Amino acid sequence: MVTLADLKISEVKLSEEHVGKWGMVIDQDICTGCQACVAACAMENNIPFVGEEDSGYGRSMHWIRIERFWEGEYPEVKMTPNQPMLCQQCGSAPCEPVCPAFATVHSQAEKLNLQVYNRCIGTRYCANNCPYQVRSFNWRDYERPEPLPNQLNPDVTVRRRGIMEKCTFCIQRILNAQDKAKAEGREIMDGEFTTACAQACPANAITFGRMDDPESLVSQLAKRSHGVKHLEELGTLPNVTYFKGG
Amino acid sequence: MFKRIFEWLIQPLGLIAVGIALLALFSLAAYGLYATQQPPEQPIQFPHQTHIAFGIQCLYCHPGAAKGPSAGIPSSAKCWACHNQIAKTQTSALLAPLKQAVESGAPIEWVPVAIVPDFVQFNHRAHVAAGQNCENCHGDMTKVTVAQNPQVFNMGWCLNCHVKSADDDQEKLVKLSDCGTCHY
Amino acid sequence: MSKNFSRRDFLKLAGVGAATTAVLTGCGPASRYVKREPYMQMPEYNYNGQSTYYATTCRECAAGCGLVVRTSQGRAIKTEGNPNNPLNLGKTCARGQATLHGLYNPDRVTDSLKRDSRGSESMQVMDWESAIQVVADALKNNKPEEIAFLMGMAPDHLFDLASDFAKATGINAPVRFGALSMFESRATLSKAAKNLFGEASLPFFDVGGAQVVFSFGANFLETWLSPVSYMRGFAGLRDGQTKKRGSLVQFESRMSATGGKADEWIPLRPGSEALVALAIGRLVSELRDGPMPRAFSSVDPLEAASKSGIKLETLEHLAGMFANSSGALAIPGGAALGQSNGLAVAESVLALNAMSDNFGKPGGVYFSALAPNQTEYQGPASAKEMRELVQKMYDGKIKVLFVHGVNPLFELPTSLEFGGASKYVSQIISFATFPDETAREADFVFPDHHGLESWGYQRVATGSAKPVLSGAQPVVSPYYNTRATADVLITAAQLAGGKFAQALPFKDEVEFLQSKVTSLMSEADGSISAPDILTFMAYFQQHGGYWKLSDARGIPNAADVLNRSFSAQEAEFAGEGEFFFVPFVSPTLAEAGANKPWLQELPDPTTTVMWNTWVEMNPVTAHELGIENDDVVKIVSEAGELEAAVYVYPAIRPDTIAIPFGQGHTAFGRYAEKRGVNPVDLLGQHFNEAGDLAFAGMKVKVEKTGKKKPLSRLESLMGVYGIGLGEE
Repeated sequence: MVTLADLKISEVKLSEEHVGKWGMVIDQDICTGCQACVAACAMENNIPFVGEEDSGYGRSMHWIRIERFWEGEYPEVKMTPNQPMLCQQCGSAPCEPVCPAFATVHSQAEKLNLQVYNRCIGTRYCANNCPYQVRSFNWRDYERPEPLPNQLNPDVTVRRRGIMEKCTFCIQRILNAQDKAKAEGREIMDGEFTTACAQACPANAITFGRMDDPESLVSQLAKRSHGVKHLEELGTLPNVTYFKGG
Repeated sequence: MFKRIFEWLIQPLGLIAVGIALLALFSLAAYGLYATQQPPEQPIQFPHQTHIAFGIQCLYCHPGAAKGPSAGIPSSAKCWACHNQIAKTQTSALLAPLKQAVESGAPIEWVPVAIVPDFVQFNHRAHVAAGQNCENCHGDMTKVTVAQNPQVFNMGWCLNCHVKSADDDQEKLVKLSDCGTCHY
Repeated sequence: MSKNFSRRDFLKLAGVGAATTAVLTGCGPASRYVKREPYMQMPEYNYNGQSTYYATTCRECAAGCGLVVRTSQGRAIKTEGNPNNPLNLGKTCARGQATLHGLYNPDRVTDSLKRDSRGSESMQVMDWESAIQVVADALKNNKPEEIAFLMGMAPDHLFDLASDFAKATGINAPVRFGALSMFESRATLSKAAKNLFGEASLPFFDVGGAQVVFSFGANFLETWLSPVSYMRGFAGLRDGQTKKRGSLVQFESRMSATGGKADEWIPLRPGSEALVALAIGRLVSELRDGPMPRAFSSVDPLEAASKSGIKLETLEHLAGMFANSSGALAIPGGAALGQSNGLAVAESVLALNAMSDNFGKPGGVYFSALAPNQTEYQGPASAKEMRELVQKMYDGKIKVLFVHGVNPLFELPTSLEFGGASKYVSQIISFATFPDETAREADFVFPDHHGLESWGYQRVATGSAKPVLSGAQPVVSPYYNTRATADVLITAAQLAGGKFAQALPFKDEVEFLQSKVTSLMSEADGSISAPDILTFMAYFQQHGGYWKLSDARGIPNAADVLNRSFSAQEAEFAGEGEFFFVPFVSPTLAEAGANKPWLQELPDPTTTVMWNTWVEMNPVTAHELGIENDDVVKIVSEAGELEAAVYVYPAIRPDTIAIPFGQGHTAFGRYAEKRGVNPVDLLGQHFNEAGDLAFAGMKVKVEKTGKKKPLSRLESLMGVYGIGLGEE
């Protein structure tokens, strides 16, 4: 059997120059709030719908949600630019150290925050500790009447009651693309695949790709001066960059 | 209330009852474990060894193994391609379900033998590409009729092999021991 | 529990025990005894576990976006946009994503059905042979002028088939209608284009190339005309890297999701849009020191300011923005057109573009490119034309009504009394895929396949510079015992014989499709060409349609626009009440999304409400009336009344209330039924000059009921406990 010592994996280094592996840039100025990303994410990742009552309690399972806030009062009222909020795939994630079951672990290979469903025991400590509030919990076994299950994506585990879940940066697409590239004996090309949300976005407000490749579109965009990272001051080292707009 | 139950339990007869209950639980668990390792009842007692003896390669019937995640169970059309040329197919009682399936157009409901839980995302292609032969995991099919599991597919067994194959390659080790490689 | 514990029960229990142990010990799968049904005949290009992708066309609205559907083992898993389709370039909206929840909806019509009697819930399953006989008899036993087709905005191939059939046999030409086209006021747009430029066409607004966009009520980032294409245009407008970032000014009385994205949101008094557009035109002209065009000469900016409730300085500032921009564009749309003066609004806003001289130029106004096999723009029926149909039904002039792709009992204003008129139609045959309100009234329901199981094509009416014919093919085999309506009509026509059989001389739907696209096979400038029809159809399916390679948008002839005079008359509002009433199409549900659970669970972009209907009310008004969030109010118009919960909405005029359209179904499956209210219940029979419904031309009263209905909202999740449904 394998022990942790066998794995010889060094701890993640916390540093200012942190560069993740996969990253995302979201342009809030062109996000129209149309919810296409939310629907695409739900369809790709087998996210259950919870119904009117449970969603009223805040139990809806959106892995990505679009936030908007109000500024001022009528008639000088303004809606702030739509803010798609999803797991920021922190380099130093507050959710990870609090999991007693090691279900919320950092992937050393893909530099993502993983949620290992079969380890999760549903303490919800991680959701409590997430400053972005992007984790959702399966409060019930939500019903999908036949024949709705026909639509389920075979690449993604169907979660059951008592399990925490969140955006995975469509890790199934990452691994599929890697597998395909490996089979063809090449490296993954920039733009060869993308996440479900980015693929659907009619305004092209979401860009996804390799952050550690200086040539990739996403790392070029992330360098623009008006990019901000949310709650960066907490030391979370988020991998999603936002353009506020204007 | 609880005290009375406890008192009853620590008297000799109670201890025996507890013992029997524990024994029953243990047997049930043992039986459960045993049951998971038995080859399930199949619609056709498919003789793997006969087919292999004819020189048919694994990938002929399970071509998905080299291409993608799932090896696949062959369609009845594939079976029929050979079998409709074999006279015995028409008379054999063993093959009656196949004949019936082809005639009625209803699929044969096979019971998969080597499966992993649905929270494990397994990909055959990567394993075949890494030089693993079918028999390394599925056992020697020349010796069995209906497929059997030669070993328990649990995570320790997977990881043992992953770590071994990574050897001293740190990058490969990280990849092969990452939770996200199989669980998402 | 039973006392007789049989051996079978024991084995069952042991099995459960075994499975449990297996899970607990992590030794084996709990789903040990699953069964796998392999293909009988696996397609050669398939591999187990690998996906196959098919190009088709989305049918959630009539825009005609191309889709690529991922299928696995014969199931549709995910829809993506078709990157090659010039209309949507690989993108989809939320409804396109959720179309799978229609395909695998638990409440589809599974077989052809015969109702025992009108109004009864009880229905009998029929076999398709007798179903087709019913259609054939209906054709044969009635006079041609007593037969009518009522069809939705999609799919176009079926409309073409019905049109050809009607033309050849003398039955009534099919009438097309959809709630989206009603709320878009398409007839008004094309009529205004006819009046101004001499051509009845659907204008296309090149938002992406513009620098300043003045939108008068156009909700082009939601459901308007071709939302995916307009959202791409908006991204172009906002691009600040390759050019200067463009800005959006939205004139509307309630902030729509589009208005929320605007740099300046101008809450004008409903009905004053034409006046404001003309006043801005005049101010622009004054700023430029040129001769005053006749179009704007009679309008007084000061009067416009006072009547619209916009400050004169604001008007001047906006005119400055418009005048100083290198690419200003004005768009009429939405509620602004759905008023008694809607046509005047459309005309004066289009005329404002003349001050920017942008007709047929990048960032300006074009005519939409006609689809490859189309010779002239064909608009859907306006609400007034629908009233004529209803009148004919009332008069008993229609004996047989075929309904496909539209749900008039839900989508038409209740005051038009389609339901009442349908009692005078002896036979209503619905081809509905879902058990909607109209199917519930129908004598027969002969369900069509879902769009993803269907052949067909859709002409792209607007949104693409190139002419596009989006092609549809089945991506999965039909899940239920449904049949393509085109096939039903073709077979029934053959059965009816005579002129009917001659009108549809086809073997099946596919042969009809081939006959319709044959002419494109060797046309120049096409995306695909082939020497024979079978090869061409293969390409057509593979690429998801056919399109031309060059821009074919028309250029409006605007030479005379500024020399015309325009009516600056304000709209008239029907009914008594203190509030302007603005119904708007729900951006996430639109007209037929309510039965898809994930669309229900999408939060509305502005209010974040899910799963229900709300009434938007200004906070000041709500305070004055003593109304709080989630209070149920009764809204009374001259045509009807309804009750819904209030959402106190910071971005709506104090004299206006707004309700989304999309909920309030009485049929349509478990996710849609008995949920929310339908604002068409409040709409009276008032039309604008183009015949479109004046849906935003009502005044209504608001009464408190004392009841509460907590709305589910996404925003209540933000760490606020005790807010939500639990608080009764």
